[in-house]
Amino acid sequence: MAASLLKLDGIGKDYARSTNRSGHLRLLYDLLRGNVPTDFFRALNDISFTLESGASLGLIGENGAGKSTLLKIIAGVIPPTRGRLAVNGRISALLELGSGFHPEYTGLENIRLAGSLAGLSDKGLRAKREEIIDFADIGEHIQQPIKTYSSGMIVRLGFAIATAVRPEILITDEVLAVGDESFQKKCIAWQEEYLKNGGTLLLCSHSTYHVQKLCKHALWMHHGTMHRYGPAGDVTTEYLVYHEEKSTQERKRHAERTVYDGGLYAVTELKLASTDLSTSTGLHRQRLGHPLLVSGELHSPDGRAPGVSVGIVRTDGTPVYGIVSEADSYTPVRVDAHRFEFKLRFPNLPLLPGKYTVRAHALDPEGMRLFDTVERDIFIEGSTRELGLCRLEHQWGGDAGAEG
Amino acid sequence: MRADSAARLLAHRALFFSFVGRELRNRYVGSISGALWAVLHPIAQLAIFAFVFAAIFRSRAGNLDESQYIAFYACGLWPWIAFREGLARGTASLQNAAHLIKKIAFPNELLVGAAVTATFIVHLGGFALALIVLKLFNQPLDFIGLPVAILACASLYFAALGLSLALSAIQLIIRDVEQVLGPVLDLLFFLTPILYPLAAVPKSLQPLVSANPLTFLLERLHEALLFKPTLPDISDLIALLCAALVLVAGYTIFKRLSPHFEDFV
Repeated sequence: MAASLLKLDGIGKDYARSTNRSGHLRLLYDLLRGNVPTDFFRALNDISFTLESGASLGLIGENGAGKSTLLKIIAGVIPPTRGRLAVNGRISALLELGSGFHPEYTGLENIRLAGSLAGLSDKGLRAKREEIIDFADIGEHIQQPIKTYSSGMIVRLGFAIATAVRPEILITDEVLAVGDESFQKKCIAWQEEYLKNGGTLLLCSHSTYHVQKLCKHALWMHHGTMHRYGPAGDVTTEYLVYHEEKSTQERKRHAERTVYDGGLYAVTELKLASTDLSTSTGLHRQRLGHPLLVSGELHSPDGRAPGVSVGIVRTDGTPVYGIVSEADSYTPVRVDAHRFEFKLRFPNLPLLPGKYTVRAHALDPEGMRLFDTVERDIFIEGSTRELGLCRLEHQWGGDAGAEG
Repeated sequence: MRADSAARLLAHRALFFSFVGRELRNRYVGSISGALWAVLHPIAQLAIFAFVFAAIFRSRAGNLDESQYIAFYACGLWPWIAFREGLARGTASLQNAAHLIKKIAFPNELLVGAAVTATFIVHLGGFALALIVLKLFNQPLDFIGLPVAILACASLYFAALGLSLALSAIQLIIRDVEQVLGPVLDLLFFLTPILYPLAAVPKSLQPLVSANPLTFLLERLHEALLFKPTLPDISDLIALLCAALVLVAGYTIFKRLSPHFEDFV
């Protein structure tokens, strides 16, 4: 069993700050005395996780959530204010490619300085020099001062140096693919090779697609804390849902009804479950491809059996599917004079991971007028790289009749 | 200094030499003659001083006549310039490398060390060259005193390094340090026996000048190379020890503040 390469235990970071001039003196005094500064900003709090050899973790979160601060702490750029950090391997951090370059010096001279900043010895650097020059592939420019380089050439050289270190943990901050199309392919090929050979990756990205593609696990940071940590598919899906909800927050949503107007047809109860036994009235979690049972009670003011319509919409309001009981010739079952119950079963729910809303509407017995709307949120979990709203049955290749 | 941080510094020696090399080349990079300036500068400076002090001011020191004043001046000037410029560059070094401190994990003290070391290499190299040139022009220099001079320069180096470590760190939090440092060093120049021997100072002011720790080192340089060449004695070692204590104190302050550098750069 490999020892964990990286272990974070209750990591926290406070940034001291001061607003006025005397505050700076006061701050200096506090720092020199080893006192806790009186005014600080808590950038990170209580971050704990371990990274085994060969693992890959994606960091996601909004701007200012503390992702970069966490990467800097792991990379050793800044020490944490609280907690313990144990690193058992060579880290290469691609926090900003080319940040150690000096514009007046040639590419070759900068390889030496950037290489020693990345922790290479003189000997190691000599051995790696040709490899770096080959990978960067900027031809004769390597003899020219960096100030004559295009920004693309600078990142190519930076990437080549960072990868020459052969890190045991690679930390990247949105710099997965740099340069032109062909160099981007080279970067991606290098990363896949690196992961295939058991390399450990810590990726910070706004692209949930990249996190899903490259990482097994994901950590969603929110206001400097660990909001959610788990399999990359689940965490990124929840994260996307969060953003969808945030962008539709201003949209007027129907409140969940608890009191109904006695004079009209109404949905008095709506439950989501995976089997007949378990029920849930709050946020329901469900795995992709598992059965979903929608059940509920309806109120009928005149004692006639009302109709019911059930629909599923994506959190942002995109309709996915809807069905009316009357169209399927189904009639809710009478419980007592004014109460009726209904059950609707989706045998293998093909919804792709994400958050959806199940809506039920009460209809008059004729199926003409729609009276009430009750909603329940459902969260579909699962790891898949399929795109869209729901899984369509499919088969690759031409031999469609193979299974009869 | 704790053992692990010493090991960490040792592991980064390649980086330290890269930094020193860069500091040295930064001075001359892009210029046509490059490192030739390193030789031309001190010679030109010496020629200017010879003209101004010997020919115009007709200054004299101790039992030396005015034609020999230039040797007196040279003995103090180069070590002083190394100290002064080392301190100024060392203090500014962290702030100038903000882009590295923010993004890359390495012992930040190497930046300060490299700035001070490179400055001392340049000016002590110039000093050696100047001494040789003066000797060729028959100035009354005695190289028996070289060990004392070397110890005094080492003391200046450690003191400059220690002060730079503390001031560079404080400078990140309080940006006024650099502004204050310039005038303070200007004042210190005149309160140190560089242009004049201590004996030439009026009795009433002597305690003030003697209280300056640099006075001892400069007086030793003058004595060793000019007035009464001797071998090192215990006082030179005490001075070296005091300078080492300044270094330890400066490094302690640096280490206290270094976890917070990234907050301020």
